[in-house]
Amino acid sequence: MIFAYLDPGSGSLILQAVLGGVAGLGVAAKAMRSRWKARKGEPATEDSAEETEQPVPAEEAQEG
Amino acid sequence: MDRADPGSFRDPASRVVLGDSTATRILDERGLADWRALKETGFFRRATADGRLIATTEVDPPEGAAGALEHPRLGVITYPFEWTFSMLRDAALLQLDLMLEALAEGLILKDATPYNIQFVGGRPQFIDVGSFEKYRKGEPWIGYRQFCRQFLHPLLMEAWCGVPFQPWLRGDPEGPTSAQMWRLLPARRKATPAAILHIGLQARAEARLAGQEVRRSLAEAGFSAELIRANVEKLRDLVQSLEWEGSEGTWATYHGCDHVARDRDKKTEFLVQALEEVSPATVLDLGCNDGHFSQVAVSRGADAVAVDGDEVVLDRLYRSLVPGTPINPVLVDLQNPSPSQGWAGVERPALFQRVRPDLVVAYGLIHHLIYTASIPPRRVVEWLASFGAPVVVEFVDPADPMVDRLTANKRPEELHPDRDRESFERIVSEHFRVVREADLPGGTRRLYHLDR
Repeated sequence: MIFAYLDPGSGSLILQAVLGGVAGLGVAAKAMRSRWKARKGEPATEDSAEETEQPVPAEEAQEG
Repeated sequence: MDRADPGSFRDPASRVVLGDSTATRILDERGLADWRALKETGFFRRATADGRLIATTEVDPPEGAAGALEHPRLGVITYPFEWTFSMLRDAALLQLDLMLEALAEGLILKDATPYNIQFVGGRPQFIDVGSFEKYRKGEPWIGYRQFCRQFLHPLLMEAWCGVPFQPWLRGDPEGPTSAQMWRLLPARRKATPAAILHIGLQARAEARLAGQEVRRSLAEAGFSAELIRANVEKLRDLVQSLEWEGSEGTWATYHGCDHVARDRDKKTEFLVQALEEVSPATVLDLGCNDGHFSQVAVSRGADAVAVDGDEVVLDRLYRSLVPGTPINPVLVDLQNPSPSQGWAGVERPALFQRVRPDLVVAYGLIHHLIYTASIPPRRVVEWLASFGAPVVVEFVDPADPMVDRLTANKRPEELHPDRDRESFERIVSEHFRVVREADLPGGTRRLYHLDR
């Protein structure tokens, strides 16, 4: 379960990969690319992005 | 009688009920599972043994709860906006050390607020065991932004900008955002890698990605605890490197004043006598300066709450405390003590609701309130009576050389009446009875031990 009673701030979360050093840069780039692709695909699936049979991030997980 | 802690309600997994001598933490199923994981770790045993973590015992839960933990009730709760630079820095280091030790054993701290830390025996102690939870694979550090806003930025504000952080944290307990902090930084600090990464880049990323889902993206991109550890270690180095000397304010050289050295023995002796008669558990030392009289109280078995408005002297006092010394330094301007604030105006009670003294010491204080802060003598006495405890107070006659200095730029008509000794004694007699009185060597100062 993903849970936080605290608002972690999306930007602060992504930044942590960068702050993790060289190993993190790849993670940050990959996460940003997935964000970018998700946003590109958004108009068609905006209302049901969480529920679609083939969620966008799952596709990238296969690519990566 | 038990009552819910007004400051404990944000985390649904764990909340605190206060008893007379204990604090009970009520857990739901998830909180209980996290506690069971925590108590099995080596760092939990270590940190509890060395006092970095509050003592915790599992007890029978009340009806409807999954679990319950019992902690000792702390003497006086203080808030980060009442701490000095070194206190906040030590609290930040404790937060980061516990993060590293928790991560090494598969746990993490779910938040990063200095309100989870209190000062006990002159050292920071982490009091919210409900903050530890099992680390979930691929999750980033949810508390990172909070750490920056409530620990890192305030420390940088003081160390790098020379601006005290306490007024900001009192006005906005969430602390400065990265965008606000970036605007405050001097140009030469903006050029440092730490500022660029933690503040500049964070401000940009927050503006760019606000409200977007990123936790899943990060997990799928291979985010790991190793990245959190690397970040926390670098943050620790940064916090450790921060220094603040402060500029020598009015009070830093106070102990060099003639009357202070001259009167100290007599004032100590007078206080010791009062301590022996009252046997206080808690002494409130108002205008404590270097903490000498707080130390005297501690040497006679009391805990002391050492209040001063000068961060330089109070920070020096904090740094000089031998670990285990029950002196709690509180930075506050007595003209404007911390009010009740937070959610519904009750989440964080006012300073003098949190401190219940058995004896109040007001040495070298009230003439500054009367002459510098222009508080009428009658109001000063009423205020001392409002603590509901015996008071040891130093009265300074208008003929004292210090009064000349304090009034150098005031015309007589700008001063309140009732400044003379006879008037002071008359007002005092309306609220107290005089247990003992004694003149100090200079002839213009007098000590009173007052009781209700």
